Amino acid sequence: MSIAVVPDSNEQGAHSARPRQRVNRFVQRHAWTVGVWVLFAMLVVWYASRLQSFGNFEKASILTTAVAAVYAAMGQGIVILGGGIDLGLGSMVILANCVSAKWMNGHGLAACLGLAVVVVVLAVALGAGIGWIIHRSGVPDIIVTLATSFSLFGLALFILPSPGGGTSPSFAHIVTGSDSGEVYWPAILCLAVPFLVVWLPLRRRRVVLSIYAAGSDRNAAFLSGVSMARTKITSYALGSLFAALAGLATTAVTGSGEPRFSTASAFTLNAVAAAVLGGVALNGGVGGMIGPIAAALALSLLSPILTQLQDGFSWMDSNMAEIVKGLILILVVMLGGYARTRRSKVI
Amino acid sequence: MADRTTPSVDTASLRARRVDFSARPNLLLGGVLVVLIIATIIKEPGYASVSGARNTLLLAAPLAILAGGQTLCLLTGGVDLSVAMTATAAAYVCANKSSNGALRSILLGLAVALLIGLVNGLGIAVGKVNPLIMTLGMQGILVGVLTKGAQSFLKGSTNVTPFVKTIGGGAIGVVPWNLFVWIAVGGTIIFGLKRTGLGRMIYAVGDNPIACRLAGVRVWQVQLAVYVLCALLAGIAGLLLSGKTGSVDLQLSNSFLLPSVAAAVVGGTSIFGGMGGYTGTILGALILGVLERLLLFLDASEAVKQMLYGALILGLSALYARLTRE
Repeated sequence: MSIAVVPDSNEQGAHSARPRQRVNRFVQRHAWTVGVWVLFAMLVVWYASRLQSFGNFEKASILTTAVAAVYAAMGQGIVILGGGIDLGLGSMVILANCVSAKWMNGHGLAACLGLAVVVVVLAVALGAGIGWIIHRSGVPDIIVTLATSFSLFGLALFILPSPGGGTSPSFAHIVTGSDSGEVYWPAILCLAVPFLVVWLPLRRRRVVLSIYAAGSDRNAAFLSGVSMARTKITSYALGSLFAALAGLATTAVTGSGEPRFSTASAFTLNAVAAAVLGGVALNGGVGGMIGPIAAALALSLLSPILTQLQDGFSWMDSNMAEIVKGLILILVVMLGGYARTRRSKVI
Repeated sequence: MADRTTPSVDTASLRARRVDFSARPNLLLGGVLVVLIIATIIKEPGYASVSGARNTLLLAAPLAILAGGQTLCLLTGGVDLSVAMTATAAAYVCANKSSNGALRSILLGLAVALLIGLVNGLGIAVGKVNPLIMTLGMQGILVGVLTKGAQSFLKGSTNVTPFVKTIGGGAIGVVPWNLFVWIAVGGTIIFGLKRTGLGRMIYAVGDNPIACRLAGVRVWQVQLAVYVLCALLAGIAGLLLSGKTGSVDLQLSNSFLLPSVAAAVVGGTSIFGGMGGYTGTILGALILGVLERLLLFLDASEAVKQMLYGALILGLSALYARLTRE
């Protein structure tokens, strides 16, 4: 399970290697990520083959429901890469959802976009604050974010005490495409743009490399002069950035804000599941963003697939999706660990 | 001159106090608890009564038992995120099979909890799955199975047997019944952790699993035992909760998952394992219980409650980290 994505720039013979070797090395190194994408593709094909028609509407519905989950998975992925875990991520999603739904209600596209930027900036600031608290207090990540999962949700509830609010139709179309749900390319853009604009440029820069370094070995990173404070702060700020995007996407898709704790914890837990299934090591330092994206897409596809299977097997429904999700998560992690121990024994 | 000496005396006495606290962090927690109780009494003089104490204990007892299981997991360096659903599952099965008589239905409920704990334990101890992931997956599976079960094989009555109702919500004279359950469970945990081989092993495994394995400890057996015990305690807590509410639904103990971790952590159990104990968790659960009442009297909205809850967890654990670092 070699899934190290941190590029070795000075790898010997990288350029002189023959194309075939390079392909082999690529497959070996990214086997996990490739596997997750293959799994997702297989699920899509299977789902499509069982439907009477697999047109634009079906594609759009799959993609739009997945957008928020994918963002959350990316946010959680970044935090886990840095050796942390954000149990308050779901609350941050709900906070962004509630804030945007409350103040977007009845405004035009321009105001909504402005507010979206404000929400993202505030979330980044909050995330940076959380990272700073973790660094300064010496309290483990899991405890601090457990606390923020309460506080941020409380804040969301304070701002929007009961489900409601709304958004501009044109803002919703950024994700959903159209009211009829026949246009699916905006959702693809929504999935791709944050990855291309935020992750790709950053991933080989010092910021993200130090997140990788701190995640894989804190002491070694510290001794080589990586600033622990800055790393913690940036990893949580980036995580919160994606959480805010997930909240905004939720507002766009559902058209309302829903302060419900169960939704918040579902977001957190699904994001952890997607990140881990996507090949991010829970101890940090190993993995990328492409895997978690595929894993989040595959996980959000499970529910419609199992509902669809109801035709053949009457006991199949969306509740089975929860069961299957849990089983897949456990089995994949078990197999991954087994593969790793076998490899290490051989060497 | 006087100006110079005063601060030095102050810091000296401060340091002396600090050392005292770091040696006995439970004193600090006790202090916080007393302050909270006094604040509640000032706000609502009627709280300083038997019924006030009873109301707090009715809530604190199930939470403390749930947090007891969580403490065991944390002590080995793990965590159990499936406790809430385990509690709900045990309570649901018990209520559903209540026509079979109190004893049998309770045993059935606890058997379900035992089974869940066994699967968790096997996955973590033998399958080497990270505890967070294993119990997270288990939680999802339980949500699915219970929702599905409520429509099929667990369809029907959700009323709790009178016996469980008495234990969970009733009182003998003025003392709530569930306090007796708590004392029995709590006594066993404290004694077990201090005086039995398994108890010492739990600390050792949490402190350094590799050293334990090299010293010949069967780490997997310890872990298996811990997750089974944790699930069993969760089952008991679930039964008590269902007895308090009178009927069960699938949301019975959802809101207790994070507080169960919080009570243990506020009580000074380290999330990295090997440090802490149940006495602190008891205080942690009582603090959360009293805080709940105080916020109720203050007429605080759910929003303020959640924010204060988070602030309390953060504040106490930061204080703890500072005290234990020195």
